[in-house]
Amino acid sequence: MFVCLVRDSLSPSRPGVLEAVARACSPRVEPHGQDVVVCDARGLTRVIGMPAVIAEEMRRMAWEREVGVRVAIAESKTAAWLLAHARPGTTIVPAGEEARRLERLPLSALRSLPELRTAGLRTADCGPAFAKATAGKLRTDDTLAIFERWGLATLGDLARLPRADVLTRTGRVGQRLHQAACGEDDAPLVPTDETPRFVERMELEWPVEGLEPLSFVLARVCDGLSASLARADRGAVTITTRLQLVTKTTHERTLTLPSPMRDSKTLRTLILLDLESHPAPAGIDVVEVECGVTPGRIVQGSLLAFTVPTPENLSTLLARLSALVGDTSVGAPVVVDTHNPRISSMKPFALSTQHAALRTAPSTGHRAPAFAKASAGKPSTTIRRFRPAPPVRVRVEKGRPVKVSLNERAAYRDSRVATVTTAAGPWRTSGHWWSSDGHTWDRDEWDVALDTGVVYRLARNRQTDHWEVEGEVD
Amino acid sequence: MATMAAVTRQGGVVAWVDVADRFDPASASAAGVDLDRVLWVRGPNVSWSPSQRTVGDLAVQRGLRAFDLIARAGGIAVVAMDVADVPVRHLQSLPAATWFRLGHVLEGRDTVGLLVGAQPLGRSAGGVSLTLRARSEWAGRSLQSRRLAGLAVTPEASQRIRRVRGHRKEEAPCLFALSATL
Repeated sequence: MFVCLVRDSLSPSRPGVLEAVARACSPRVEPHGQDVVVCDARGLTRVIGMPAVIAEEMRRMAWEREVGVRVAIAESKTAAWLLAHARPGTTIVPAGEEARRLERLPLSALRSLPELRTAGLRTADCGPAFAKATAGKLRTDDTLAIFERWGLATLGDLARLPRADVLTRTGRVGQRLHQAACGEDDAPLVPTDETPRFVERMELEWPVEGLEPLSFVLARVCDGLSASLARADRGAVTITTRLQLVTKTTHERTLTLPSPMRDSKTLRTLILLDLESHPAPAGIDVVEVECGVTPGRIVQGSLLAFTVPTPENLSTLLARLSALVGDTSVGAPVVVDTHNPRISSMKPFALSTQHAALRTAPSTGHRAPAFAKASAGKPSTTIRRFRPAPPVRVRVEKGRPVKVSLNERAAYRDSRVATVTTAAGPWRTSGHWWSSDGHTWDRDEWDVALDTGVVYRLARNRQTDHWEVEGEVD
Repeated sequence: MATMAAVTRQGGVVAWVDVADRFDPASASAAGVDLDRVLWVRGPNVSWSPSQRTVGDLAVQRGLRAFDLIARAGGIAVVAMDVADVPVRHLQSLPAATWFRLGHVLEGRDTVGLLVGAQPLGRSAGGVSLTLRARSEWAGRSLQSRRLAGLAVTPEASQRIRRVRGHRKEEAPCLFALSATL
């Protein structure tokens, strides 16, 4: 026996209400969005009462939550679904009378079926007459149109046709519609588990001010959360901290973690570090911490790969570094897709669990020192880039720089006039000439070696004829 | 940079404490560094002029604090602090125990500490100082076709002291100071 609850069209939609009502009565619930819920009612007669009592109880519970519902109880899920969608109020179908109760419903009632409304069937599921005409599209409307052209008006008319003939002419879509008209299911109820919330709340007897007393409160809250996460084999990916203040306002902070974790000390440290940089403006009355979670997973490490920081250590480290130098100064460097070499960017640092090195582990235990191996390669052309590029005075003869006068800001080690021993260039670069947002650049770049031994990359602004130091080749 | 490339290619994580904000991602990527495995801590964009000495000192202090935090976190293969463009007056104002303290943090860990400076830094008893001598190499025979091929770097160990513990000889702590002499 199945119960289908459908939100009344005149009632406002309230997320989760119908599911909560169904879960209050039955352990096996199959929610379909926010407005329809199907649940298994077998055995409820011993707990709640007769089907009429069950229906009335559910309507009452929904009404208490300010939602009006239609209720249908039938032996099949499909019959309950169709009747709940087609008829207002409460409909109770005795066992074996599904087809008789459905026979007066119009054919258009079949459009509400979930498997035909959302998932749909493919071309191969349809009859040969439609395969060519509407390849790849849903066939429900077409099939119903065919039924109407055959002169069928109600589900009873459809149910009286031989199913084998319907299958031959309209394919599996028609067969499923015929099944539904007879009140038969083609799939069992698929119950889903209730989504648990991982939230801990503590109301304080006295308001606390400052991070030190708050840390003790957070320790207790995070211990409870960590235990809940461990029991459910979940890891926190976001932490939302809500602090109700004595001013009757709420101070809310949300942290996104780079990887799932459930270590109590780490969670507490992260919250405290965040509150250190974003403190609550008044005393705290209530502390509430909620975690957004993801399923736990088992990661296989490698004995041959480098040790990498654990997610907990990495999160704590990033939080501490962010508190020290700022959020925008910690991360992983990114090569920006532009021809302007001065633009650099960074993204949040996150370690992937798999790395190419793990797949190509060294065959022997001995490894040469990293520096010795790397330095044996080709010459280095790494740039130490000056931000912003400092101005420099350059003397040019025959179109080539011959003397460079560096000021202290450009390079404190060479604050004097130096002679250019070797110069290569110019390498012309320009861009954003089509926009007027001030990001236009048009430069000639030179690589110059000075008599001091330093190699600089200089740039001449072609619009202003000013020279700047791009960086030092290192 | 070559060290970073070698370590990140093998799957290690490198932290680069960039006190003077000199790191260039594009050229680092071209040098073979896996940027996804580089933790870049950028320093503030300050002028290193003598008139703003306090700001410079603060930037160096923050860099040292960041180095300390990263070294203590564990799991980072190489922690490098680049102070090559920081004027000497800011480094000389640091307490003498600063470098010993950093070396002590690294002791017993699998993390290599790198100090990149214009002159030898952190002369601890167990540290190693390498002087990098660079020579520019150019390609192309004519003025028009000439281009910079790169710098040929020659490392030279200027200080390498080992200490003996029991019957086992080991290098500790693993704190390198690279000084670029160009």
